[in-house]
Amino acid sequence: MSLILKTLTSIQSFSNLLKPGIEVTTLAKRGAKRLNPYPKKRHPGWLPRPTHVLYKDDITPENTKFIKEVVETRFGKPDVGLGMQSKSISPLRNEPIEPQTEWKEGMRRTGVIAKKIGVYPMWLKDGTKVLSTLLQVIDNHVIRYMSPEEYAPVIQRNNIRNRLGCLIVGAESMDPQLFTKEYCGVFNESGVLPKRMLGRFLISPNAALQPGTPLYAAHFKPGDYVDIRGKTIDRGFQGVMKRWGFKGMPASHGVTKTHRRGGNIGSGGTKARVMPGTKMPGHMGNRWRVFRGIRILRINTKYNVIWALGPHIPGETNSLLYMYDTVLPTRKPSTAPHFPTYLPSIQENPVEEELWAEDVHRFDDPCIEFIEETK
Amino acid sequence: MNQANVTHLVSKLKFNIRPTPRRLKNKDGPPGRVLKIQKTLTALFEYERIELFYNRADEVRGYAERLISEAIRRGPEDHEMMDLANFWIIRKEFVHKLFKVYVPRYQDYSIAYTKLHKAPRLYPGIYYKRAVLELRGNPYPSIEQRNAHSNVLLHNLLLSEARKEYRMEKYKEIAESMNEREVTSQ
Amino acid sequence: MHGALKMSAAVGRVLSQQMRQSLKVLKSLAGKKNRCFSASVPIPKEGSVSNNEQKSVNRGKSADPLECRFMYPEFLPDPKPEYRNSLREKLERADMMARRSKIDIPEFYVGSILAVTVSDPHAPGKSNRFVGICIKRSGCGLRANFILRNVVDNQGVEVLYELYDPTIQKIDCLRLEKRLDNELLYLRDAPEEYSTFSFDMEPEIIPEGTPVPVNDLKVTLKPQPWLEKWERKDLKGVRDIVVNQKREMKAKAALKPWEKYDLMKIYRETIPEEEQKEIFAEVYSDLHNLEITRQKMKRQRTFIRPKKSG
Repeated sequence: MSLILKTLTSIQSFSNLLKPGIEVTTLAKRGAKRLNPYPKKRHPGWLPRPTHVLYKDDITPENTKFIKEVVETRFGKPDVGLGMQSKSISPLRNEPIEPQTEWKEGMRRTGVIAKKIGVYPMWLKDGTKVLSTLLQVIDNHVIRYMSPEEYAPVIQRNNIRNRLGCLIVGAESMDPQLFTKEYCGVFNESGVLPKRMLGRFLISPNAALQPGTPLYAAHFKPGDYVDIRGKTIDRGFQGVMKRWGFKGMPASHGVTKTHRRGGNIGSGGTKARVMPGTKMPGHMGNRWRVFRGIRILRINTKYNVIWALGPHIPGETNSLLYMYDTVLPTRKPSTAPHFPTYLPSIQENPVEEELWAEDVHRFDDPCIEFIEETK
Repeated sequence: MNQANVTHLVSKLKFNIRPTPRRLKNKDGPPGRVLKIQKTLTALFEYERIELFYNRADEVRGYAERLISEAIRRGPEDHEMMDLANFWIIRKEFVHKLFKVYVPRYQDYSIAYTKLHKAPRLYPGIYYKRAVLELRGNPYPSIEQRNAHSNVLLHNLLLSEARKEYRMEKYKEIAESMNEREVTSQ
Repeated sequence: MHGALKMSAAVGRVLSQQMRQSLKVLKSLAGKKNRCFSASVPIPKEGSVSNNEQKSVNRGKSADPLECRFMYPEFLPDPKPEYRNSLREKLERADMMARRSKIDIPEFYVGSILAVTVSDPHAPGKSNRFVGICIKRSGCGLRANFILRNVVDNQGVEVLYELYDPTIQKIDCLRLEKRLDNELLYLRDAPEEYSTFSFDMEPEIIPEGTPVPVNDLKVTLKPQPWLEKWERKDLKGVRDIVVNQKREMKAKAALKPWEKYDLMKIYRETIPEEEQKEIFAEVYSDLHNLEITRQKMKRQRTFIRPKKSG
């Protein structure tokens, strides 16, 4: 009996030896390839979490007043009124550094953060009507500069040596009590109030700016081309007609229940599957999109407003967007822009209040008249 | 871009309104929505403080405010105003209350006439958001519970000490500058 | 509106030589019986001009900035909160005033008869003049526009003009009056005599200080088919609309009697009084000055007009 048992156990141990030592399970690679990958939120390592949960602190009214007073004495009164440049005091902001190099072709300078404030028509000198989007450069300050060696983005392209530095720009000053202590610490270097929105612009090291330098709408010139990056309007889950502009199907002639549907999404046979990238219903909008090569028609330097050509700038009214010199090779400026930025203290002649592109009809110009050609 | 309607002139409401109305879904459709608002509005004018679902409270709030502000603007002699009040307030006695009690009460208000509080959800029960809607200046005790000892909380103590120091420094600076001025004048 | 204009323009037949070269031309769709009337026949004036005290605004006496809202409705912004921004509205108003300083835009309402001269690169003489009745005013800010309607060579023609378009050289108000409705789109389905105006009409002068006259002319529509369901629109300027029983029932079912009581709907469609005051306080003095200069010009014109003697 015992012999039989022994042989059995030996056989079992032998079969154990036959099995592979490491258990290998193959996992399906999920979500490996997408035709249009969603842009991911890549939070930079150096930036602390901005907001915290606001609890009821039961601070007495006198103390609330006191906190407000301290903030105002340190940073100046908050930005009141119609988009005037805030008179925030920056303790570290000395006279801005003089630009050290002349502008050369291929140099990249910083962009600005602007607020889309509306759309209205303008007319060109040949009488055509164009729609223009108004973009207000609100309360922009340089927050930090990172040199090419220092700057390490979360996602890096391999084998390419980074030659561009990174400039952090902030827009719209806010009450520091709304943010975390760590986030407020980011603004110590520049000495401005904590900003609602931060933006990151890759620049050539020659275009670096001192933290605390204000940026104005006069950074650009009318006639320049810019790229604008913004988050499109969130339209929710939409059908193919709205999302992709499909035609739908007829309203009558025996059509039932398929007036707004997409129809066929693929053939049978060997390709009996839905091809990747097929246009179908789904979530529309709320994506970061860049519109390139948008021309500037007009600039108001008093209120820091830029009129850009076209009604199709991404984002709702009153949303913030990034604006920078275009990367399109044919639309890059041939003459020198304000480099590294427009600095009113350095400029010899202050800019006019209203700057217009050449072909735009000013509203206080006389009516447009066409002259008959004489043969 | 649409032109604003200029036939009616209205006073500005003192709270933030929703850009779009709520449908208040019901089997009768839009007339049912109106009936719901009429009922809640009448109840609000009767009891001055009511607890209900948040959506309905928020929707009715605008109508209550608008009705009071119209009553203040036009007065009881106006036929259209009387028509409006009779339409929204189902029971006649509260139309009188609107003109005799609420109009004098809210005549000089510079803030909203109503107040909306978030209330806890019922459990077990329907898990919708609940709210308390009240007319300001009502005779009931306040809903908000204030901390009676807030001034002895640690952060308040520290802040008030800092405030005193700050004030002292300010006074010192002022005194010094006064002294300097005296010295220079002498 | 633009879509409707384009669509009907596409359907439109060949027009006269002069009008073919105008910018946006509309042919009225219901043009079956238009041979009965010739273009030169002036409109028979049926209704007498009466003064409706409730609606009318005293001219030349706009002491209250709030009264400007009837005269200059385009200065009020779009009430939709998602489009509002105080700075944009301010800049837009400044641009509107800049344009108004260069061209005299007269006071007019829906129902007034206007003559508009536009510079047109394709017209013979590089400019084009059109006379017609204003049947609609819409849009706010710099997008403000109006539609003029007339009948030319038995053909209904509508032109949409932008109020602040710099190609407009001149706007003349030939007859200043109001009609019973805020939109006269039903003239498209009315006989041509109601929208026929002579191109060499003389401007009528109303004495200063008198309210804008309200013309209570009632129109009889042509038989169906119509462009819109006019029986549902509660039109005051149309005499007895007769439809079949089915349409009547449907119109009855589509009634929304509670809408006139919907306080929040009214509120969401308008700009509150406080904001209106703020807006008109900003532009009022400039508008008032422009108005005074216009009146001066008018007086001079009336004085210069030669009187035949002996």
